[in-house]
Amino acid sequence: MEHQFVTDLQNNQNIVHKVCTLYTSNKDAHNDLFQEITIQLWKAYPKFRGEAKFSTWMYRVALNTAITLYRKSKRTIKTQDYDSIIFKIKADEYDATEEEQLKLMYKAVKQLGDIDKALVFMYLEDKDYKEISETLGISEVNARVKMNRIKKKLRTILNP
Amino acid sequence: MMMDELELLKKDWQKRDKDIPQLSYEDIHNMTWKKSSSIVKWILIISILEFTLPHLLLLIPAFQDSMSIYDTLGFKKYFYIISAVQYTVIIYFIYQFYKRYKEISVLENAKVLMQKIIKTRKTVKNYVIFSLSMILFTVLLMIIGIYISEDFLQTISEFNNTKSDLPPEKIKIALMVSIGIFGTLLTLFMGAIYFLLYGRLLKKLKKNYNKLKRLEV
Repeated sequence: MEHQFVTDLQNNQNIVHKVCTLYTSNKDAHNDLFQEITIQLWKAYPKFRGEAKFSTWMYRVALNTAITLYRKSKRTIKTQDYDSIIFKIKADEYDATEEEQLKLMYKAVKQLGDIDKALVFMYLEDKDYKEISETLGISEVNARVKMNRIKKKLRTILNP
Repeated sequence: MMMDELELLKKDWQKRDKDIPQLSYEDIHNMTWKKSSSIVKWILIISILEFTLPHLLLLIPAFQDSMSIYDTLGFKKYFYIISAVQYTVIIYFIYQFYKRYKEISVLENAKVLMQKIIKTRKTVKNYVIFSLSMILFTVLLMIIGIYISEDFLQTISEFNNTKSDLPPEKIKIALMVSIGIFGTLLTLFMGAIYFLLYGRLLKKLKKNYNKLKRLEV
């Protein structure tokens, strides 16, 4: 079972990395959160019966850990503004304005609160509102309303 | 316009998968053996300490001596009754706590998970309030005991003859007052530690939970 779990997680580790990038601001904290999510996934693994896709199941555990269970360890809060590799913009892929816009967008997303981040994260991952609402425990309508509010909020962050 | 920006971000976000540094099989395998440091784990640790620490007091000889005051005060019988009630309530709390703790599952949606943690914490909170009330009650009982006990006054007088010439009545009142003050301070101190500890631990959770709840209004 352990071998299966590690293989599954290894194949889907990007989900965890992306959550860690959104919710932490330096490398130590990133690794710390990654480890906690792995532990929580492993603890819950016996209850995973393969009814859902492994990755679908991972979103819930990873976000729950980041939003609720994870306690920032002291040594990791100090350093800030760690440019994660995920957020690094490759200059050759976009023109200058687009590149600048993306940079600002990523920065704005990182400034959001924990719950807002979860919504944006699932939106970016192309999850539908049904899955978003089920993961957070809110109604689908409220998930949509909230997402619109976040868009507005991002707009004010981008154009102060 | 904003829609376009977010769509642009989405496209970019999804392209990034290939740039993410990958952990090896060994890295992940090692992580499965590490200990969790989640807030649920901390609640469990703090609660076990709260359930056991007050009882460790009974092992300290000085405390045992002070408990023998009940013997001299003729309170032994009541003391046993109170203890029995106290332990029954404590066992009830431990059972409640265990049941709620077991219900916490990372597989719930975010809101339910937070609710269950808060509920578990509430059990501990009620237990702490109960324990602190018991301490205050014990202190009160001691004070009353000293007040009504004649033997006690005599013991003081005997003791007093050799040491000083303060009237025994005054010593009695001074003793009652100092036990009262000490008991109250101890209770406040323990209460403050508890509420600070939990306040810190659950600050983030409370904030996020309120945000989720506000969404449904």
